[in-house]
Amino acid sequence: MERAAAGGKGTVTPFASMFPANEAQKAAKRVEEKIGEKQKELDCIKEFVTENTNLINLVSRLPDELNHDIMVPFGKAAFFPGRLIHTNEFMVLLGDGYYAERTAKQTVEILARRGKALDSQIESLMANMKDLKAEASFFDVTASEAAEGLVEIREDYVEENSREKHSKSDDKNNDEKVASEDDEYARIMSRLDELEKEELEAEDEEADAEDDDESAVEQPDAAENNDESDMDEQTDAAESNSENHDNTQPKAKFNQFPHQIHSEIRKPLQQTTAEALSNKYLPQQSITDTSNVLMQTPKSGFNSSKAFTCSIAESAETVSRNSGQQAVTSSQASEPAFDSSKAIIGSTVERADIIPKNSQQQAATSSQASKPAFDSSKAFTGSVVERTYNLPTSGQDAISSQSSSSQPSKPVSRFKMRRS
Amino acid sequence: MGSSTAIRELQRDLENKANDLSKLQKDIAKNHQVRKKYTIQLGENELVLKELDLLKEGANVYKLIGPVLVKQDLAEANANVRKRIEYISAELKRLDGTLQDLEEKQNSKKDAIFKLQQRIQSFQAGKAKA
Repeated sequence: MERAAAGGKGTVTPFASMFPANEAQKAAKRVEEKIGEKQKELDCIKEFVTENTNLINLVSRLPDELNHDIMVPFGKAAFFPGRLIHTNEFMVLLGDGYYAERTAKQTVEILARRGKALDSQIESLMANMKDLKAEASFFDVTASEAAEGLVEIREDYVEENSREKHSKSDDKNNDEKVASEDDEYARIMSRLDELEKEELEAEDEEADAEDDDESAVEQPDAAENNDESDMDEQTDAAESNSENHDNTQPKAKFNQFPHQIHSEIRKPLQQTTAEALSNKYLPQQSITDTSNVLMQTPKSGFNSSKAFTCSIAESAETVSRNSGQQAVTSSQASEPAFDSSKAIIGSTVERADIIPKNSQQQAATSSQASKPAFDSSKAFTGSVVERTYNLPTSGQDAISSQSSSSQPSKPVSRFKMRRS
Repeated sequence: MGSSTAIRELQRDLENKANDLSKLQKDIAKNHQVRKKYTIQLGENELVLKELDLLKEGANVYKLIGPVLVKQDLAEANANVRKRIEYISAELKRLDGTLQDLEEKQNSKKDAIFKLQQRIQSFQAGKAKA
């Protein structure tokens, strides 16, 4: 997802353009008609079955008596009294004009066989109808989805390495040497091993955490509005300031970040805070990244790719920092966090009402890094939520080596990808 | 003037092709109906054959011919039904062949019509430009 954002490869197609709602409805109607036809056929066959069973009953009862007194139909409206004799002799139609002389018992056998044939027919018809019904419901769902304004997001899968190269090439204008890739790779691999162990433990906690995730996801709505307005106001400032950004600010921020993580890793047992941590962690980390990009430090090499993960809100964050606020408080940091989580809820099902916001936010962003950022966070879907469990470790990792503080999310996402 | 007569010609051609196509489609639908009938008959005959196989030697078997039942030998009836099944299967195969043929024709007609339409469109576009 980040990759796609970095490469600019993601495509967003509204469902409605692929399957026009009325077309889908037409298709659904046609299938419904087919189902109706099949239903009629089925009813017909069921009638045959009941007739057959009635006949079987009659035939098996007839030879009980030597003869029966009956009213013989004569024409359409008249009957005359008569008597059935030879109650054990039947001429049975075998089909295609062939009749056979049979006794009552043999007739019942024939009729039973015929009943079986009818049953198999009913079965096949039922299966047929089931298929058609599934088809119909699919069309219905498609129609309603198209009407709702669902969009399809399609992205090419790009290997991580190529993405890094890509992001590096993006930062070439920084004119700075980048940390060696081999070094980074080795670190990633070691992290992967670590995470593998972590995963086993996390698996147990996952079930409980799922509930917490959902509750946490509710929050963003409140914060989201603030972010947007903030952003709009501050965009201009960001544009002018991003060039001559001074180094000390991001550095202070950068140092502050591991501390926060550090304090927060102590609570990993409480799943809710872990969730909050993940939300907070994401934007913060991306803040550092963008600041790094702006600073043109050597770290920008691998961090900048992380910058793509940052949400729009975080660009607003950068802006506020630019405008002179030295210390970014944790509350500020948590605001964009909500926004990012908001983007996460968006998941693959992006409602139409989010899209205009999307464009608005994109327009509001100043740096080229943050433009794809929204898409990326949008496309991030579930894996971001799952990250919660790996986060404490990533925080520890950040402490062990500050230079790699923003590193974790990359291995984590790759880890997740590999697992799924 | 020349282009307009050409277009008229093309349109006539297109109409003819469309008529042919609809005829073909009718044929295909008829083919489907006949096939359906034959498959039903085949199923019925197979049922009859099964029942006849189950009958014991010496059972009385009758064939309805017009309004009368004509007594038939069991062996004879059996042979008749088998023959009929063979015939129906052959007929079904034949119908399959013709259906395939018809569909091929239909596809080629569709292609031709599509091309004609394109040509007409390009003609009209050229005229609009000129």
